[in-house]
Amino acid sequence: MLVGISLETKQINSVKPIECAEEMSEYLSIIARDRCKRSFSKIFSYFAPRLRSYALKQMGNEALAMELVQDTMSNVWQKSHLFNSEKGSPSTWIFTIARNIRFDMLRKQRNRKEDVCSDDLWPILCEQTPDANEVSLDHQVTMDEIGVLFESLPEKQKLVVEAIYIDGKSQQEVANELDIPLGTVKSRTRLALQRLKEMLKDND
Amino acid sequence: MISFHPNFPDLQAFSAGNCEPAMALMISAHVDMCPQCQQDCIEIQAEMADELFTQRSSTPPLDSQYYAMLSKITDLPVSNTTAPEVINTSIELDGKFFELPRTLRRHVKNTGNWSRLVGKLWQAPVDLGDIGKANFMYMEKGGRVPEHTHKGTEMTLVVDGQYGDGIAKYDCGDFTIMNNTHNHLPHSEADDGCLVFTIVDQPLHFTAGIARLLNPFSHLFFK
Repeated sequence: MLVGISLETKQINSVKPIECAEEMSEYLSIIARDRCKRSFSKIFSYFAPRLRSYALKQMGNEALAMELVQDTMSNVWQKSHLFNSEKGSPSTWIFTIARNIRFDMLRKQRNRKEDVCSDDLWPILCEQTPDANEVSLDHQVTMDEIGVLFESLPEKQKLVVEAIYIDGKSQQEVANELDIPLGTVKSRTRLALQRLKEMLKDND
Repeated sequence: MISFHPNFPDLQAFSAGNCEPAMALMISAHVDMCPQCQQDCIEIQAEMADELFTQRSSTPPLDSQYYAMLSKITDLPVSNTTAPEVINTSIELDGKFFELPRTLRRHVKNTGNWSRLVGKLWQAPVDLGDIGKANFMYMEKGGRVPEHTHKGTEMTLVVDGQYGDGIAKYDCGDFTIMNNTHNHLPHSEADDGCLVFTIVDQPLHFTAGIARLLNPFSHLFFK
């Protein structure tokens, strides 16, 4: 399959990377310069099987592991000119490539269902403006305005809304405290919300 | 000066490729801005690489699967180095340009328009694709986010300027993770305000005053 390329697996395996860093750096620069397949095969023979063990541990699946190995080694082949021996060893460089590809694969694997829309994350404060020039900022409802509108509610409604939405009490608790029927608490709440809604509309 | 860094286990997980993609993005952006963590990551990765690639036991000879892979790879063209993708290195708000760390630059093209929130607070949503959503938040001088806590976690990186939140003061490059044990009130008194990049995985939960009142009325805002 690979005519003219011998894979000197055994010879390279017996050398520790600390000792062979220089040799590997040299291969990388030859690959960058000459696209030398023979040099690449030496790098490949050493790193690919070892990457597989990292990949297997990370991906937990043979097919995905081999995909990670292939993507990593492809990057080494295509980007060898970016390797700088002054910044680190070939091992560290290749490990970092593998790590980055691992993150890419992790992203693609993720179930989209987990995503939460940012509109949900900043639910209350966000005023949608598809184009900043379209909507005058003066027309946007700010919290201060809400505060002002709230202040203008009839005293009885304000009391109920405040107890429920600011103090966090239940409708029943409010009914007990104010000694009024639960139904009255509900209707005052409903009326207050309607009134606020009307005021916001008029404000627009 | 940067005082808030990712903790060591998170830095390790990031270096190994073991953390959530959203966390990886945040740490990566922090590392762009923080020489100390950059150095730590280089060392951690060098150690991991040494451990991985220094296996005493020799690996079995390559089988046909590897030969096939090798030949596929060497058939690939060398990457076209001539035309690197031109990307924006900064984002703009109101005529002000903010230079971004390298990791965030590739997301500028997926950043939406700025919207004004309450008071002096601005938000631009960022679509991170498979990772999810993030936001750039900008606080003008005197701007504040209503006091809130988090049902999930909130990761924040200060991209420009300074802000405080009643717990501490944060400077450019600072990275924080907040969860439901933190109740805070972010505000900026910096003359040029403060730009942060933030990812939250659950809605904020407003805890005080008039902001709480807003919760049940959300539908009124989307008439």
